[in-house]
Amino acid sequence: MKLSPTARQGSALFGIAGTLLLAGCAAEASSAETTTGTPVPQTTAEASPTTTSAGSSTGSGSTYKDGTYTADGSYQTPETVEKISVSITLRGDTVTKVEVTGDPQAAETKHYQSQFIGGISAQVVGKKLDEISVSRVSGSSLTSKGFTQALAAIRNEARG
Amino acid sequence: MDHVWRFEAIGTVWEIGTADPLPEGERDAVREAIDDFDHTWSRFRADSLVTALSEQPQEVPTPPDAVAMLDLYRELSQATGGAVQPLVGDSLAARGYDAAYSFRDRGAMPAPADWTSLLEWDDGALVLHEPRLIDVGAIGKGRLVDVVHDLLGSLGHAERLVDAGGDLRLSGAPIRVGLEHPFDAARAIGVAIVADAALCGSAVNRRAWPGEHGGLHHVLDARTGEPVPAVAATWAIAPRAMLADAVATALFFDGGGAFAARHGVEWVRMTTDGRAEWSAGRRMEVFA
Repeated sequence: MKLSPTARQGSALFGIAGTLLLAGCAAEASSAETTTGTPVPQTTAEASPTTTSAGSSTGSGSTYKDGTYTADGSYQTPETVEKISVSITLRGDTVTKVEVTGDPQAAETKHYQSQFIGGISAQVVGKKLDEISVSRVSGSSLTSKGFTQALAAIRNEARG
Repeated sequence: MDHVWRFEAIGTVWEIGTADPLPEGERDAVREAIDDFDHTWSRFRADSLVTALSEQPQEVPTPPDAVAMLDLYRELSQATGGAVQPLVGDSLAARGYDAAYSFRDRGAMPAPADWTSLLEWDDGALVLHEPRLIDVGAIGKGRLVDVVHDLLGSLGHAERLVDAGGDLRLSGAPIRVGLEHPFDAARAIGVAIVADAALCGSAVNRRAWPGEHGGLHHVLDARTGEPVPAVAATWAIAPRAMLADAVATALFFDGGGAFAARHGVEWVRMTTDGRAEWSAGRRMEVFA
């Protein structure tokens, strides 16, 4: 279960796809946008259709133009500052591909070689919620309403 | 479970499913249980016990849920080498996740490593020796789901589902729950089969905000005051929601897998580069 360099690069960032998705999306879906420095807030809620707890997708019509969005940024780990580049492919408001490249410097941890891991897989794109039979959903989209609203208010202030 | 009651509380959407409708008196009892918990443990409320203690540390009569949660925190702290602990409230506030939701980053502030000597508890008393802000975010919501689940049981509802924004506990026939892709809410990375058990998840992508030196989110390493970089989302199935919640948090850190194995808890987690890892077991499937 040795880590590939690609995998480690991604893990030098937290939520980077979420972070930089909006940076890319905000570029009015032209070809690409480069963001350097502080990533924008992670608000994938705006980048993809919301999901009700009944498990059905309520989104209709795309919010963002299909295409590949790229953003550069840096991330502070406890040990180092990691430079990274993230490329995200959107199709119908759905992330179909995430690529992370960079030059991570942080030391490897034993995290990924745990004897307690029963299985591991490369990048998981997943399945559309309306293609699988589930009665509810567990994830972040419903868990932080107050937080999301507060952050949205801050961002609006920043714009105004 | 033909009857579903949907409402909002503590900043999230609750759904309670029961075989018989809940009369208004029982709904009031549920609302009261949630408010009592929030009134004690919410660091976002000016009138809460933890806010009062942070301003004036003192000895108070042990509030309900304190022993169960703090005993589990002690174990979590040992399992994760001190990364998870309940005196992390000031660290979160320092990064901007404060009662006012200021999102103004004042830099990393490690939580006190010797937290068990600053915070002491037994069945009779809870003592905080220094002005520190208690944050039970790692397990509090799970505990509250258990409280509501048990309350409904005591009211005679043998079958019940308590779902607090995706953290849920079920007494009843199996249900299938999609594991929301942390980077795309329209997709699931897998499915969990929940039957007479609890499922809790944690993800960093929504409770996140820009910091002075990069993005921040709500899962901080208490030892450094820095956000955890490698894991994007976690889920765990356990007999009780508090334990599922604890494992979902522990999985962000070294030692989380061992902690889960010790308790026989099944889990799935996704790293920030989109890979998935899972424990042995048959109750969760990843679309790998």
